[in-house]
Amino acid sequence: MEMPINDIEPLIMHIDLNSCYAIIEQQANPLIRHKPVGVAAYTTPRGFIIASSYEAKRQGIKLMRIIEAKEIDPRIIILAPDPEKYFDAHRRFKAVLERYTDLVTPKSIDEFIVDFQGSQTISKGQNLLEIGYQMKEEIKQALGKYVTVNIGIAPNRFLAKVAAGMDKPDGLTVIEARDIPNIYGQLNLLDLPGINHRYESRLNRAGIFTPLDFFDAQLQLLKGPVFQSIVGYYWYLRLRGYEIDAQKFPVRSFGNDFAIKEWTYDREVISRYIMKLSEKTGRRLRKHDYQAQGVYLGLAFDDGSWWGKSKRSKATIYSTQEIYLNLMQLFRQVSFPAKCSHVNIAVFNVAPASPFQLGLFDGTGLDTRALARASDKINDRYGEFTLIPARMANMEHVIIKRVPFGSVRDL
Amino acid sequence: MREKINDEVSVVMYFSARKRIALPHLISWQNKDYTIKEMGYRHSILEGRTLHHIFEFTVNEADLWMRLNLDTANLHWLLEVVSDGNAD
Repeated sequence: MEMPINDIEPLIMHIDLNSCYAIIEQQANPLIRHKPVGVAAYTTPRGFIIASSYEAKRQGIKLMRIIEAKEIDPRIIILAPDPEKYFDAHRRFKAVLERYTDLVTPKSIDEFIVDFQGSQTISKGQNLLEIGYQMKEEIKQALGKYVTVNIGIAPNRFLAKVAAGMDKPDGLTVIEARDIPNIYGQLNLLDLPGINHRYESRLNRAGIFTPLDFFDAQLQLLKGPVFQSIVGYYWYLRLRGYEIDAQKFPVRSFGNDFAIKEWTYDREVISRYIMKLSEKTGRRLRKHDYQAQGVYLGLAFDDGSWWGKSKRSKATIYSTQEIYLNLMQLFRQVSFPAKCSHVNIAVFNVAPASPFQLGLFDGTGLDTRALARASDKINDRYGEFTLIPARMANMEHVIIKRVPFGSVRDL
Repeated sequence: MREKINDEVSVVMYFSARKRIALPHLISWQNKDYTIKEMGYRHSILEGRTLHHIFEFTVNEADLWMRLNLDTANLHWLLEVVSDGNAD
C-alpha cells in the first residue's frame, strides 16, 4: 500500500547564510563588496578556495585552486579564513533565531534548523512567512546589512533544505504538502540534499532519473534493489514529508587534519605535525570531558595515494602524550610512496572521562591526567599553545585554527 | 592589496550611553588622521583570558579599509591590516 504525503502544516525552517565566509568578509570590508572574493585555506597559488562570493560563483569559481580561479578572473580577491569572526557570526545568527524558539539546531557553522512545531510564536497567530522576513531583517541588524540568508519552510528538514536552495541568494520559499510533486518536477536528482553522484548512478541503474521518478518509486524498489537496506525506507518517508532526520547522534570521535604547505618525505617534520595535531585533538577531547580507546592516522601523498590505519587501545587515551605515542606506533609502520601532503588524525571509541575507571593492569594514569589538566588550565588562561610539548617548539604558525566543516560542537 | 601592519596607533574612541555603542572614531597612523566612514564588522576574541576587540572599517580620508585590535589588558590599539579592496 502506498503511503500518502505527510499533510501537515509546514513548520520546519531551514536557514543558511549565503556564501558564508565570503559574505562575512564582504560585510567586514565594504571595499570588497560586489567583487569576486575567495576564502582559501592558504593564499598561495596551490591553496584551495573553500568559499567564494556570489560574484565569483557567477563566473564558475567554486571549490578550486587559487591558480585556477585566477585564470578565470585575475581580479579575484583571495583572503585567508578568519575563524573567530565566523564563529562570532554563527553565535549572533543563532541568537537571532533563539528569540523565536528554543528548538534551534545548528547543522554547521552557517546553517540552522528551526522547529516551530508547538511554538508559542505560531500559536499567537504569527505567520511563518512573516517570521521569515522578520528574521532576515534581524539578521541584517545583527550581522550587517550586506549579509543575506536563504530560508526554506516545509513539513520536514529535508524539504526545508530543498526549499532554502530554490531561490538563492536571499530567498524565502515555502513548500506545502500539496506542492511536493510539483517541486520535484522542477529539480534534478543532484539538487536533492543527500544525493551525490554515487547515489545518482545507483538510482539511475534502477530506472530512476528524476526526483519525480524517485518520489513515485515503490517502497520495495527503494528498500531492495536501490539501497538494499533500511535507507530506502528512510528515503521513501523523507520524500513524502515525514521527519526522519531529527535524531541526534552521539559523539564517536574527535579528529584534526592538516594539509601540508611544503610536501615532504621528512619523517621528523611529519612527526612534529602529528604532535601538534595530537595536542589540538587532545584539547578538544578533554574540553568535552571525554577519553578515547583508539587512534587513527591517515596520510595522503602527492602521487594521489593514501595510507590509513587505526589502533584500538586497552588503556584509555586522554592526554596529548598518550594520543601522540599511540599515533607514532602507527606512523612507524608506513613507508612513503611519495611526498606526504596531508596528515589526518582521530581518536575514537570515546566515552565520558569522569568518573575515571582504573584498569586492572594499567598504571593509575592519574599523573598523566593531572598533568594534562594542569597544562590545559595554563593554556586556557594564557592562550592556546602557551605551554607545549618540546616537540612543538617553533610551530606557532603551523596548523592554525581552521573553520570547521559540519560539526559545530566546539563553537 | 592587503598589507599586514601590526603598528600601535593612537585612537580616539567614543561611547554613546544613549545608543549603547562604543567605537573608535579617529585613528592616527603615520602622521595622518583617519576617521571612520563605515564600520563593517566588530567582534571579540579571547587570547587566554585576555579579551581583544576587533574593529574592521573603511575611512573617510582614503579608499582604505583597516583592521584594528584593542587589547583590553593594557588598552593599547594595534593596527593589524590595511587594504585598498583590490586583488593582491
